[in-house]
Amino acid sequence: MHKVWIIARHEYAVNVRRLGFILMTVLVPLLGAMGLLVAAFFGGEATQFFEEHFAMEPKNVGLVDHLGNFTPILPKYQDRFRLFADEESGRAAMMAGEITTLLVIPEDYIATGRVIVYSKGSSFSAAVLEESSLVRAFFVDHLLRDRVDPLLRERLAVPIRPVVVSLAAEGRPQEGPLSTALNIIVPYILGILLIMTIFVSSGYLLRGVAEEKGDRIIEILLSSVTAWELMAGKVIGLGALGLTQVLIWLGAALGLGGGAVGLLGVAVTLLSRPEVFVLGLIYYLLGFLVYAVSMGAVGALGSTMHESQQLAGIFSLAAAIPLMLSGFLFSDPNMPLARVLSWFPLTAPTMMLIRLPMTEVPLIDIVGSIVMLILSIPAILWAGSKVFRMGLLMYGKRPTLTQVIRALREA
Amino acid sequence: MLQVRDLVKRYDGFTAVDHLSFDVYSGEVFGLLGPNGAGKTTTIRIVMDIFKPDEGSVSVLGHPPGLARERIGYLPEERGLYRNLKVIDVLVYLAELKGTPRAVAEQRARTWLERVDLAEWSEHKVRDLSRGMQQKLQFIACLVHDPELIILDEPFQGLDPVNVELIKQLLRELQREGKTIVLSAHQMNLVEALCDRIVLIHQGRAVLYGPLDEIKRRYAPRMVRVRTSASLPDMPGVMEVQRHADAYEITLQEIAPQELLRLLVERDIPVEAFEVSSPSLEEIFIAVVKEAAHA
Repeated sequence: MHKVWIIARHEYAVNVRRLGFILMTVLVPLLGAMGLLVAAFFGGEATQFFEEHFAMEPKNVGLVDHLGNFTPILPKYQDRFRLFADEESGRAAMMAGEITTLLVIPEDYIATGRVIVYSKGSSFSAAVLEESSLVRAFFVDHLLRDRVDPLLRERLAVPIRPVVVSLAAEGRPQEGPLSTALNIIVPYILGILLIMTIFVSSGYLLRGVAEEKGDRIIEILLSSVTAWELMAGKVIGLGALGLTQVLIWLGAALGLGGGAVGLLGVAVTLLSRPEVFVLGLIYYLLGFLVYAVSMGAVGALGSTMHESQQLAGIFSLAAAIPLMLSGFLFSDPNMPLARVLSWFPLTAPTMMLIRLPMTEVPLIDIVGSIVMLILSIPAILWAGSKVFRMGLLMYGKRPTLTQVIRALREA
Repeated sequence: MLQVRDLVKRYDGFTAVDHLSFDVYSGEVFGLLGPNGAGKTTTIRIVMDIFKPDEGSVSVLGHPPGLARERIGYLPEERGLYRNLKVIDVLVYLAELKGTPRAVAEQRARTWLERVDLAEWSEHKVRDLSRGMQQKLQFIACLVHDPELIILDEPFQGLDPVNVELIKQLLRELQREGKTIVLSAHQMNLVEALCDRIVLIHQGRAVLYGPLDEIKRRYAPRMVRVRTSASLPDMPGVMEVQRHADAYEITLQEIAPQELLRLLVERDIPVEAFEVSSPSLEEIFIAVVKEAAHA
């Protein structure tokens, strides 16, 4: 075990000084700080700018009203809608660029709902009109004016304004937009943080192994330690390196201004649900072990750094699957596929890290996934160190699948 | 010190080591010799527990392979160093992995660096060293932990003549200090002056094994070189006489070289030089392999 410690210390000391590690460790908080600065500078102006330039609500809409219910246009809509006596004058205004869209309301509109939409270019603007809550409100307001109470008219135009209430573990409701933000932002931040640090650290493992192969030092090392000790030392040293990076980032986030952390939602979730924090740490460590050992072993099979990276890409992909599914997970974090992937060692760590802050994950999933990970890690370590040793001693060529299987059988 | 018994290692149907047996005694320099591909490196890797044998057994310092790593210094054929680390850091790290405490390792590393004239490079990165310097560094890297048994696989490969002499000198010093040394080499002429005993391997099998001087005696071709201005008469016991520019090469059949010298003196032949030819290991190896092929 003493040798494992020496290797871990060596790996940590060598890699903590790498330019790539320093840059990445410094750049992430710097980018965060820049983001906060930009937000502070522009604040509300930025929101207004985005609303004006990117909102999908239509402007400068022309209207030919054969039905009569839209004449005159209600004052609150007059800045966006303009009446034309007939289609010809409307089309002329459109050609002159005075309006972007022309709506013609036929006499049989009430019976058919048919509206003729003149548009320049694509049919995109017609689709926008159909989905626009402003246009919907415009129609409801004009069709029901003088017939229905204005409040009821407004409700009919926008029937639902959702207020999401999440239930905390003990059934206590957590209301408001912060709760919604937490459910969306936290899983992403935790998941991405996990993946980033795992793959940065595993990348160093891969690179270190490839360099040691290239420098022809492996055989000297294997004459002093076993392949298992070498791999375990590397995994522990680089795991500590990844944790250092996470701690620096979290520390920087706290230092960037207390409240900003709350903005990101991380600290609030972690403090309000400590079990998520503890489980998150467990999945982080187990996940790192699984991915680092797998990538180290498969990476050692490559004859060049590039080839090693290609081989190790399989594991990056597996870890990223839960993130790809996050769209579905937001609607149902306990969906069957998510539960299945939570039990599979290569996807379990990221999947559970995304699911845990979102919802109450069934206890069986938590216990099952941790047991599966704990059971699979010694097997991955054992097979990994065998493949690792064989791969390390093959210079300039990649072992065949038969050779890999034989190495495992002979072990 | 090292016992190898009936060792067999096969790769994909090819037998790299074929029932090989030998012993290495404490304090000797033992030569593991043979041409490229003879099975030397495979044998050493089994001794170092890097490969597992298919058959046979190995005992290193009284233990199965892998249990006495700290007491062995190993210079592999495929060797290199961390190019981006400082010279002193590399030596200390490798010695620590062999169980040497950090402070002791650093002290010994500096002593060795001085011994091979690299002391002033201790704080430089390995990549800044010339190739010759790196080769010296590789050599001392396997010695800093003060091993009892030193195994060197092709230690002279790629070395310039100056460094060959330096390493030979160091090996003689290490032997005087009581270390046991196993040398593997395909350039037999480079190591035959160093070895006490050898095993000569061909196609995974031992074709010659024993003390070097005994082997040389056994395979001496009984050839004598005589320089004289006179013509040589017929003499009993002489099989063949070849005349060269300034000397005769005489192959003896039934008599010893001393007997030939007596005959020459008796016949008043003015002998300017008399030399008993000693066969090189390479010549012996070729002769043995040819014999084996004809048998």
